[in-house]
Amino acid sequence: MIKRCLRCSICKWIPQLQIKSQKYATICPSIDMFNFHAYSGGGRIIIALALEMGRLKPSQELMEIVYKCTECGGCAISCKFLNTLEPLEIIVKLREKLVSLGYGPMLKQQQYIESIKIHNNPYNEPHEKRLDWLPSDIKIDSNAKVLYFVGCTSSYRRKEIAIATARVMNAANYPYKILSENEYCCGSPILRTGDKISFIDQINKNIDTLEKEGIETVVFSCAGCYDTFKLDYPLEKDYNFKVLHTTELFNELIDVGKLKLTKELPLTVTYHDPCHLGRNSEPLVEWDGEALQMMPLVSINMPEKLKRCGEFGIYDAPRSLLEKIPGLKFIEMERIREYSYCCGAGGGVKSAFPEFALKTAKNRIEEAEDTGAELIVSACPFCATNLNDGIVEKGANLKFYDISELLLMAIGSPGKSIKESSMEVT
Amino acid sequence: MVLEREVFKEFEGVVGVGNVDDSDVITNVYAYNWCMEIINYMEGKDPIPFSPIPKAVVLPSSTEEVQQVVKLCNKYGIVFKAQSTGLGPWNQPSVDNSIIIDLRRMNKIVKIDEKNLYAVIEPYVSGSQLQVEIMKYGLNCHMPGAGPQVSPLASATSMNGPGFTSPSTGHSARNVLAVEWVLPDGEIMKLGSYGLKNNPDWFHGDGPGPSLRGIMRGWAGTKSGLGVFTKVAVKLFPYPCKTEFIVKGNSPNYDFDIPDFMKLYVMDCGNFKKLEKVMLGVEEEEISFMCSYLSGFAVMAIFSNSIESLMDKIPIGQMKTPLVVIIAARTKREFAYKQKVMNFLLNKFKIENIIDKIYTPKPVFYAEALRSNLGLHGFIATGGFQSSKGVADTAAVCLRSTKSNISLKQEFIKKGAIVNDFGEGTWMTSYESGHYFHMECPTMFDQTEENSVEGMAEYMVKSNQLDLLKHLGAPFFVEGTRMHELFGPHMSNYHIWLKKIKESFDPNNISDSGFYISPQKK
Repeated sequence: MIKRCLRCSICKWIPQLQIKSQKYATICPSIDMFNFHAYSGGGRIIIALALEMGRLKPSQELMEIVYKCTECGGCAISCKFLNTLEPLEIIVKLREKLVSLGYGPMLKQQQYIESIKIHNNPYNEPHEKRLDWLPSDIKIDSNAKVLYFVGCTSSYRRKEIAIATARVMNAANYPYKILSENEYCCGSPILRTGDKISFIDQINKNIDTLEKEGIETVVFSCAGCYDTFKLDYPLEKDYNFKVLHTTELFNELIDVGKLKLTKELPLTVTYHDPCHLGRNSEPLVEWDGEALQMMPLVSINMPEKLKRCGEFGIYDAPRSLLEKIPGLKFIEMERIREYSYCCGAGGGVKSAFPEFALKTAKNRIEEAEDTGAELIVSACPFCATNLNDGIVEKGANLKFYDISELLLMAIGSPGKSIKESSMEVT
Repeated sequence: MVLEREVFKEFEGVVGVGNVDDSDVITNVYAYNWCMEIINYMEGKDPIPFSPIPKAVVLPSSTEEVQQVVKLCNKYGIVFKAQSTGLGPWNQPSVDNSIIIDLRRMNKIVKIDEKNLYAVIEPYVSGSQLQVEIMKYGLNCHMPGAGPQVSPLASATSMNGPGFTSPSTGHSARNVLAVEWVLPDGEIMKLGSYGLKNNPDWFHGDGPGPSLRGIMRGWAGTKSGLGVFTKVAVKLFPYPCKTEFIVKGNSPNYDFDIPDFMKLYVMDCGNFKKLEKVMLGVEEEEISFMCSYLSGFAVMAIFSNSIESLMDKIPIGQMKTPLVVIIAARTKREFAYKQKVMNFLLNKFKIENIIDKIYTPKPVFYAEALRSNLGLHGFIATGGFQSSKGVADTAAVCLRSTKSNISLKQEFIKKGAIVNDFGEGTWMTSYESGHYFHMECPTMFDQTEENSVEGMAEYMVKSNQLDLLKHLGAPFFVEGTRMHELFGPHMSNYHIWLKKIKESFDPNNISDSGFYISPQKK
């Protein structure tokens, strides 16, 4: 596959048919920031090929280029409209190879991996403080078969999201439990850096815990944790529970009448698709066919092997929630759904290359501002952190809210006070 | 091989820290391109997709910076190769002692003049970017067959640039108006009306004084062999139908609101003689937005987004000489007229439109046609294709070239080197409502199979020889001194003049001549 890049540069743009303006035509934060072709999806395929051919040897420079990528997968969506290359998979494999050769992860990433190993979170926070976000009035049902997997970022950095999620489920009388001292990092921040061995340790810890607890459904407010459990865990280890993102759950609760949105929110809102909830959460479909040679040089997959182009990511659930909030006006940005522009934080970039993460966030915030919205809403605490940083850095008037916070306001709870309380802990 | 530190520092002083890089990783990446394996094999080298490695890559952000970079190249005797979006081997350095000038940071639409129908763009504005901005004025631009992701400036100044909408938007070589051009010695040349001393503007390509357009680009373009183009005005055209472009759903299964007044015709003309008559008939009426002859296999491909999805289109593949026509209009009356003419021609030539009878394409096809994305479908079978030929002549000559090529192609199909399109794989389109025509022979091969690469390269060499033998003109990929010296003696010794031009503008051969021509004395 690494021999087939056409160097056509399609990986730098959103799908050609979706380009709506010159300003927001690009898809890849990395090439947008660093400009040299090596920083594009195609460029990294060439790096993989050059390594394979022995033209390049691993080096610090090579490592930096490979790691200055948010692994958002936008390049893959654009490429696969017509081609069958897998730029994102190649980048992931490239990082794994570098780690196996003793290069990578980046120093800051190694530090947070070490923190995960010691404290079960990448923030160097004491494990025993993982539940500090939990207000005393929130009802937890220790017999529930549904688990709310809070995740490290909501537990330590974006507590308002954990609180809002918990309160919304309480408001719907939806019974759930949380793991007190037994919730560990999902491992996503490790996996994205290519350190697969350390990642597998996290899988084992989490699946063993959840199965011991007899959990039937796991609910996530973090897109990263959700994607990692949904797609990456099964590649290494099977499990028997169902995984749901809160946007899916909340829609179900509204549709069956358990959650009622009664309060008008006269706000103009735009929505940012997290890469991990959108294109990258598209389920993997096992293909058990064979490549039949139709004629010399031309093979055909029988049955057809479907390309993962992001079509089955979660896009409608969050939009449906926003449309159900009374009085709320929802406006789309130009780059949405499977060709959404990344917030800039993923792939270990936020820790290793904070300036790059910030510039990307500012770019996205500007796109949100251009819609005329007063709020940018998303469904991922990691996007929340970076987009908030972008708002501050840019001096934008726009405010960021997680979708759970808006829902909490729409059911009549005071969202603003949640936001203010969270400022103390971020 | 890297730049000496003081030279590196000088480049850095011009373009700024972070905008010049001579690391192994960056320079190796820039040594790669599509079809380089064929070029290498033709030159007796290993058929790998890498060219000579540039010493560094420089990212200027303005004409003045380009000028300074070029002057430094002259000062230190370093060859430069400029590129914009960078698709194809023409973007590659041909010698070791070179740098690449990547024009990616020059990405502004400088001006849209909706009254005088032109836009001024920098090198890294893509076709799609330009198109979406001019659609706001009800206008369209020409896009080359390479696709909407490539640079209209590069195509207009340095390539030939036929495209699927050529009947209504011409080709890149004919759409270029005024130009800002950094010559190989670093002097800035302003061509056309932009060169006027008083009230310079971009509306015209010729003058003041004698036109230099022929020298600037000639027929096939100089492929960065004669300096760097930093701004260009390109012609604009009325958008063929309503400009709302509403694409719904998710990739790759997009849905599209087909504009009200747009209709597709796919007709089997049965044989080449009739094909010629039908094409001329359609084009004489000046009604088509798109009018292309494609092989049956290629017609299947433009309706498919994967090799697997070709399979339900076998009846199309069985057509002998399919002609694909799209008409589009801005008013009901205009549309009715165009349909009436098409119906008249169908009756006259006793041919049938299979659309909605045998096959109904998905709406996304129309979106791709409007955005000129169809050429990229050539890659879906094997991931690799390249064209031989490249005639710009009458329909009769184009079809003679097509016919003469069939048995040659079949020879390489039998060897298993190229994909079996029955030897008929040809794309032919009219230019400017049939005033003349373009044909090329897209050929699918597998760039990962050495035998296929070698076979494809040998086929292309023999195809060129056939052009000479049958007096079919030069292919549009006539590039490099060797090729020009091969074809020049058969075409009024044009290569001698080309060498003189190169020598006059670039006696030290600093602007990479690998895909152009060496100076007379070298």
